[in-house]
Amino acid sequence: MFVLLPLAAVIARSAQGGASAFWDAVTTPQAVSALELTVGVSLATVAINLVFGTVIAWVLVRDEFPGKGIVKGLIDLPFALPTIVAGLTLLALYGPKGPFGFSVAFTRVGIVLALLFVTLPFVVRAVQPVLLELDREMEEAAASLGAGRRTVFRRIILPNLMPAMLAGVGLAFARCMGEFGAVVLISGNLPFKTEVASVFIFGQIESDNVTAAAAVSVVLLAVSLLLLMGVAAAARWRARHEG
Amino acid sequence: MSIEVVGVSKRFGDFLALDDVSLNVRDGSLTALLGPSGSGKSTLLRVIAGLELPDSGTVHIRGADTTHVPAQRRGVGFVFQHYAAFKHMTVRDNVGFGLSIRKRPRAEIRERVDQLLELVHLSGFAHRYPAQLSGGQRQRMALARALAVEPAVLLLDEPFGALDANVRKELREWLRDLHERVHVTTVFVTHDQEEAMEVAEQIVVMNEARVAQVAPPRELYEHPGSEFVMRFVGPVAEMGNELVRPHDIEILPLPDWGAEEAMVRRVNHLGFEVRVELETTDGRRVAVQVTRARAVELELEAGQIVWLRPDHRGALRANRSAA
Amino acid sequence: MRASRRLRAVALAYLALLLVLPVGMVFYRTFEHGVAAAWAAVTTPDAIHAFWLTLLMVAVAVPANTVFGIGCALVLVRQRFPGKALLNSLVDVPFAVSPVVVGLALVLLYGRAGWFGTWLADHGIQVIFAPLGMILATIFISLPFVVREVVPVLREVGSEQEEAASTLGASPWQAFWRVTLPSIRWGVAYGVILTTARALGEFGAVSVVSGKLAGQTETLPIHVEQAFQNFDLAGAYSASVVLAALALLTVLSMNLIKREEVTR
Repeated sequence: MFVLLPLAAVIARSAQGGASAFWDAVTTPQAVSALELTVGVSLATVAINLVFGTVIAWVLVRDEFPGKGIVKGLIDLPFALPTIVAGLTLLALYGPKGPFGFSVAFTRVGIVLALLFVTLPFVVRAVQPVLLELDREMEEAAASLGAGRRTVFRRIILPNLMPAMLAGVGLAFARCMGEFGAVVLISGNLPFKTEVASVFIFGQIESDNVTAAAAVSVVLLAVSLLLLMGVAAAARWRARHEG
Repeated sequence: MSIEVVGVSKRFGDFLALDDVSLNVRDGSLTALLGPSGSGKSTLLRVIAGLELPDSGTVHIRGADTTHVPAQRRGVGFVFQHYAAFKHMTVRDNVGFGLSIRKRPRAEIRERVDQLLELVHLSGFAHRYPAQLSGGQRQRMALARALAVEPAVLLLDEPFGALDANVRKELREWLRDLHERVHVTTVFVTHDQEEAMEVAEQIVVMNEARVAQVAPPRELYEHPGSEFVMRFVGPVAEMGNELVRPHDIEILPLPDWGAEEAMVRRVNHLGFEVRVELETTDGRRVAVQVTRARAVELELEAGQIVWLRPDHRGALRANRSAA
Repeated sequence: MRASRRLRAVALAYLALLLVLPVGMVFYRTFEHGVAAAWAAVTTPDAIHAFWLTLLMVAVAVPANTVFGIGCALVLVRQRFPGKALLNSLVDVPFAVSPVVVGLALVLLYGRAGWFGTWLADHGIQVIFAPLGMILATIFISLPFVVREVVPVLREVGSEQEEAASTLGASPWQAFWRVTLPSIRWGVAYGVILTTARALGEFGAVSVVSGKLAGQTETLPIHVEQAFQNFDLAGAYSASVVLAALALLTVLSMNLIKREEVTR
């Protein structure tokens, strides 16, 4: 009830003016550009995350080096760090007053960076346990059958990691679509350029245009719920097929 | 009667686990519930303990109707297959749990736990945690825990199922021994006919949600009430339309009245006994058990032609439809 | 061997650039002009008020979600009922929904023009632009953590220990306190820490319903944002450091609990 009622209120509000009003609200140029931008940066983030998240998980499981314990702990930092602080820290280093002489503030690169920061743990944490449980004998068997390192990775390891990677990516994507705190400072919120959906919604609420806010919210809601259901269905499918 | 179950049925979704089951267990007896997996034996035990509510029927413990009494007030001791040790408590706290729930004075709990630990040979382990015990030790601790509250009946669900063969054997003897000393009415579930034969005074054979037969071990073996029971409690050879125990078939070197011709396929020497695999003229395979002395006397070897004569006293007429 | 070392270098460099250096930079900027300056920046009346308000959020949301979380996990694992799958996915919804949308939802429910707005106004209860609404937002956002941590532990522990307790004479209540709760305590602790971290740091949902009134409805994360927007960088950085320190503490305790679990 506590969960459903508020969401019902949003949906009801978005439907208040009928289907055409809803459609108009969602298809204003500013809303469309915000939604497009959100999907774009989310896709970019998730793609980078997929590669680096898997690499990091691999290094954490298969590699041994001093200080590994600390690195392992650090992975959870983005979960623990308030998102607004995450945005601020990135601005401190890569912002106009940063030490590098370049700035990603108010750019799409900055948004991707912020999203990368907050979604870092998703893929790592999804892949890590699977990699840990992965039967090394399987790789050894493949090697004994004449497979080289690359082939072992491509044909043995990757297919086994794939479900976990996709699950991690699904969660990360859902998070990206809705992220607000980390993005709000770094993006500068320039309409048509760096305004993501959540910031757009916030702006509409501030300017009392609640119906438009509700309409775009419903789009976001639908996307993330579909994703979440997809991830859950995939997990169930896997549980059934791998015992 | 210590336990009286009358007309109990229990259904889990589409699966009928107990179908109108009735059972009486004598005071102070040691009874085995024996049957293949899915025969309802564990469910029956859990119904007696109050861990499952029957859909219909009644359960009486020591004359009182306990059908709707919750487990916590039934006064039964229950031992689980996987021990159900309280992992966050020491052995002492595990065994003393029931007494502390009953708010007994500390000194009394201490004394009682010490006695019980001695009874189950765990005196030196009071301060260990379950994770620091072997499987056999954990199960003995679970038994002490169940006995601590002086239950009216002791129920054990496949108590040795998760243990190694050696430990299993040892614990069986120990359970018999314990029962002789404590004399609490005991019912245990097993799917191992040898275990049931060795430990129990009375065996309840269950099959497909019903009680197939109730009898002492020897009677069960010698006079099985049905083909199912005969097949379940020991090895069986088919001779014509009869079921015979492999040791109830005589091997003769020459034709005789009532004997059937067969060829020896294989002779297995298993120490004291010898198992002979034969093939009859119509192509049926028969296994026969003979003593070593008899095998030597007959000079049994593969390829040899012999004659088989079953002892009809222990035989059962095969009834395909009742299998 | 060489390949694995290269991989290690890539992973560590990525983490350094994305995580360690930025966070380090904020610490550096905060203490650049000395500890006294940083202290002065976090002890302004508004910052102190924000700090206490944040603690209030945590003090209400965490116990509420812990009790709900354990109860909900017990229901999800131990009971069978129609609609269980639905409840199971509903619990995850706050993870999937944008915080801003959550804030909007609460405004639509409890705001002046909201479904319950008139009733609340008649009874003199202010939810939106008041701590009450912010608490509701925080509870909503951090709802799933305890449930999600406790469910797998509960499933792994199984119900045998509870059954054993009941055959030994324990009432359901006694079995819960003396057997179930101790055996899931590390899962609960983990969930509580995650809930705390989220409640401390929640920004999006809370900022929608708070109205961001300095000294009144400003939590620490909102204070960071407001200070930044008002070009008070010292204030923003030093408040961030307070939050970052709390986050590090969270991560540390998470790792300690993990170790404790492993040694058990």
